[in-house]
Amino acid sequence: MFDEKDLVLEAKHVTRRFPTNDGRLLTACNDVNLKMYKGKTLGLVGESGCGKSTFMRFLVWLDTPTEGEIIFHGKDITKLKGKELWETRQHIQMVFQDPSTSFNPKMIIRDIICEPLMNFGRIKASEKDAKARELLELVDLPGEFADRYPHNMSGGQRQRVAIARAIALEPEIIVMDEATSALDVSVQKTIIELITRLQREKNITIGFIAHNLGLIQSFAHQVAVMYLGNIIEVMPGEGLAEKCVHPYSRALLDAVFDTKMDFSKPIELIKGEAPSPLDVPVGCPFQDRCPQCMDICRREKPKLISLEPDHEVACHLFTKGEKQT
Amino acid sequence: MALLEIKNVDISYGKRVTVKNVSLDLNAGEICSIVGESGSGKTTVIRAVLGLIAGGGKVTAGDIIYEGRSLLKLSQAEWRDLRGHDISMIFQDSGAMMNQTRLIGNSYVEYIRTHENISKKEAWDKGVAMLQRMRLPDCDRIMNSYPFQLSGGQRQRVGIAMGMTYQPRLLLADEPTSALDVTTQAQIVRQFMDLRDEYGTSIIIVTHDLGVASYMGDKIVVMRNGEIVDQGDRDHMLNHSQNDYTNMLLDAVPSLGGRRYV
Repeated sequence: MFDEKDLVLEAKHVTRRFPTNDGRLLTACNDVNLKMYKGKTLGLVGESGCGKSTFMRFLVWLDTPTEGEIIFHGKDITKLKGKELWETRQHIQMVFQDPSTSFNPKMIIRDIICEPLMNFGRIKASEKDAKARELLELVDLPGEFADRYPHNMSGGQRQRVAIARAIALEPEIIVMDEATSALDVSVQKTIIELITRLQREKNITIGFIAHNLGLIQSFAHQVAVMYLGNIIEVMPGEGLAEKCVHPYSRALLDAVFDTKMDFSKPIELIKGEAPSPLDVPVGCPFQDRCPQCMDICRREKPKLISLEPDHEVACHLFTKGEKQT
Repeated sequence: MALLEIKNVDISYGKRVTVKNVSLDLNAGEICSIVGESGSGKTTVIRAVLGLIAGGGKVTAGDIIYEGRSLLKLSQAEWRDLRGHDISMIFQDSGAMMNQTRLIGNSYVEYIRTHENISKKEAWDKGVAMLQRMRLPDCDRIMNSYPFQLSGGQRQRVGIAMGMTYQPRLLLADEPTSALDVTTQAQIVRQFMDLRDEYGTSIIIVTHDLGVASYMGDKIVVMRNGEIVDQGDRDHMLNHSQNDYTNMLLDAVPSLGGRRYV
């Protein structure tokens, strides 16, 4: 399904530790290895605090990893500096979660959308009006919106503007951090339709962060599940409901409320909440909440192993099976 | 007789009528979900039941009847007895409704002592017992914490514990799970269902998530632009509704193994 020559970005052994006030270390991302392919969507799923945003922020230089490298077109982008960094920035853009706080409230939409273009000298000031209209129409908004302020628009419209700003530079990668979770369900659907249409037209690679596995499986080509800073399962988005095997991924799936579910059955729960990333237990990070926890899970941390092409899982339930065969 | 009857209610801010002709009946032990997009007036309706419409809004027509008496004519003293005792409300972020500079325990004790003439020690123990019933771990530590020290799910459980202290006949929940992770959301939803089964509490839940609304609600009310556009029991709404707007909302819920966009 994924062709190595379409590889756009590769994260190798990325680790990020934050020092805390009392001298301990918080590991937000632990040895993360992920690949992003041309024109495909990578969905990153997990509960709050699992490190999914921390990882995606490396791609847009809002943070740098403590260890590891992120290869983009043969170069480690975490080491870039000066002019080279500035030039690479135009290839990777971001859409934030809350569209009401990701704009300067004093700028009109035309200036907001054209700011990245002006910054890289792609257009002249006289061309701004035409370009802003063109971009607004691309995200299905009327061109007259160019004269509005962000507060004159609804949340869904603002998120469309954020997407217009992100695609203005025609980047290769767009990172979307929970880009639909502040929106109504009906608006969410239209935004997903917009994103997938733009992806088809412009062949953009998307990194999408979400906490809802039900949402992400509807449009991601590749889904990675994170728990306490570790990638615990990577699988194709298609047929995800049948394919995913890690107990935590199954729990995330069971927690999705669906209008077509069986209402007579009580919803399945995993107990408790994720422990603090400051005291990650020895062994499998999911051990305390796992319904199938075994002795080995308390001693040894499971490694990611390949179940089938494009499907990897980190769980002792499956490591054992591999040894037998 | 229905526990709560909302009869042809209009709610206005100044001269602008924002909620028009809303009628709703709720029986004891029944759960009603109100769904709609933001700005459809769903929160305003349940705030009106508790007499807490924000920003100077007023009920200008119709009547709200709880156990046979009109809620619109209550005096302040009667409201104080009713609120938090017979009718409770749970907000989207229970941490934000508490005083940020006071320990949760102190807020809780004060709340209990407005409704009951007991000592601070007894009130504290009652609070701890309630938190335990919500399956919160380490309840003494939680009572000694500030709201910002707890996770979103824990805060929400504290809010539900507070709301349930006097086993109200009617619980109003305003987007109680929208700010939470899916796993925590499932736990909280389950807890709401248990409350109904154990105490026979009637619940009105306001949400924009059709999945949660249909899992919880015996009946579902769809609101749009301040009016009820469609209502009925769950089976009717999910499978047989003729209303285009209802079906559009249903279609927008991402469904497992459902439509894929790529």
